[in-house]
Amino acid sequence: MKVSNHEEFEPRIVAFLCRWCAYAGADLAGVSRLEYPPNVIPILVPCSGRVDPQYILLAFKNGADGVLIGGCHTPNDCHYVSGNYKALKRYALLKKYLEQIGINPARVRLEWISATEGQKFARVIREFTEELKKLGPLRLR
Amino acid sequence: MSTNKIKITIVPGAACGGCDVSLANLGERLLEATELVDIVFWPTVADFKLEDLKNLDHIDIGIFIGSIRLEKHAEAAKILREKAKFVVAYGTCACYGGIFGLGNLSTREELLKKVYLNTPTTENPEEKIPGQKVVINGVDVTPPRLTEWNLPLNNIVTVDLYVQGCPPIEDSINHFYEVLVSYAKNRKPFEKGMMIPGAKTLCDICPRKKPEKIVIEKFRRVHEGPIDDELCFLAQGIICLGPITVAGCGASCIKANMPCRGCLGPPADIIDRAGKFISTIASLVEIEREKELSDEELMRIVQEIVDPVGTFHRFTFSSGVINKKQEDAKK
Repeated sequence: MKVSNHEEFEPRIVAFLCRWCAYAGADLAGVSRLEYPPNVIPILVPCSGRVDPQYILLAFKNGADGVLIGGCHTPNDCHYVSGNYKALKRYALLKKYLEQIGINPARVRLEWISATEGQKFARVIREFTEELKKLGPLRLR
Repeated sequence: MSTNKIKITIVPGAACGGCDVSLANLGERLLEATELVDIVFWPTVADFKLEDLKNLDHIDIGIFIGSIRLEKHAEAAKILREKAKFVVAYGTCACYGGIFGLGNLSTREELLKKVYLNTPTTENPEEKIPGQKVVINGVDVTPPRLTEWNLPLNNIVTVDLYVQGCPPIEDSINHFYEVLVSYAKNRKPFEKGMMIPGAKTLCDICPRKKPEKIVIEKFRRVHEGPIDDELCFLAQGIICLGPITVAGCGASCIKANMPCRGCLGPPADIIDRAGKFISTIASLVEIEREKELSDEELMRIVQEIVDPVGTFHRFTFSSGVINKKQEDAKK
């Protein structure tokens, strides 16, 4: 998806989506035929609490320009009771870490998307793609 | 000289000398070892130059100490790999880049400028910086140049055996010695990529009491108030790197009532140490009251950790998934 200079930059988003809410939301966006940019690579995970920050760093290392973590709404939607809170706290600390190593923390985004929120999923992808286009490609040293 | 002896070299990179000294912990066995091995290159104890390493025809086991921070270290590492049957990364710096890795939070140019021009106590009107050509009385005495980044040995050459520790302590040295002796006696090659001490974490051997559930309500630093000397540090809100540090130090800091700083490096299955520790530490925060507190409050408590890179990656930043300061955040 990386393009040469004279074409518009198309960001690559890796999205870790939990199977109970966010992935079902993405499915709903699909079956409802909602339009959203094709820049997202969805990865199905059992729970947003399963997304180890190591994998997010690996995603950046391997060419992602942005990483989305999609989980169930707080406080009570998580299928595993509190996995979404684990994701929230890790996300907060990871942002601080990324800033320290010189990566714009806006490249990581955490969203609560329920199984009924196909609209929200499409909107999040649209917004995130726009934002990453403004930030430009992530070029690691 | 018996021809059955194996040839060993001990090549220093960017190192403090502690690893060389730790080899002296072998004590009298160092004398026994001379029956089996010939140490043919060890600049720390006798005058050797890089030329001497180049002139060796072959090496059985090449031990490398320290990280790669000068161009000549990289050169030495490549020569070593070419000549040696087995290359050993000895100590945290060789294995993971060591504490020098935090230098990767600045570029080489920034580091040199800071140290040689901008510190308040520096007077350097001619703006001389290492790396520039220096000729004195017609002799080229140009000092060695820094590499662009600090790197662990395995970023430059393939490594066959890792001995973890800063410096490796007795048990690890004994284990390493056995490996050396068994190779010298039977020419039994060792498992490639082997790590000494191995896979257990410090928490496995930690003598402290661990509560059923560790809950962190507030992060504390070691200077803030008294520390219980029997209770797990994490349960007291003090950051301790035990969960992501390999056990091979006999928990010496823990026994002195200081939390682990992680100098031995991580167990083998960790991809990125800071990433893994973010996962561990963040999940412990207010684990009982997650649903009572607001999302903002939870995020605030977690972000109270002062220096995530310097704390979680203090000795291993060079071997992290992203191991250099990036320019992206300036945008």
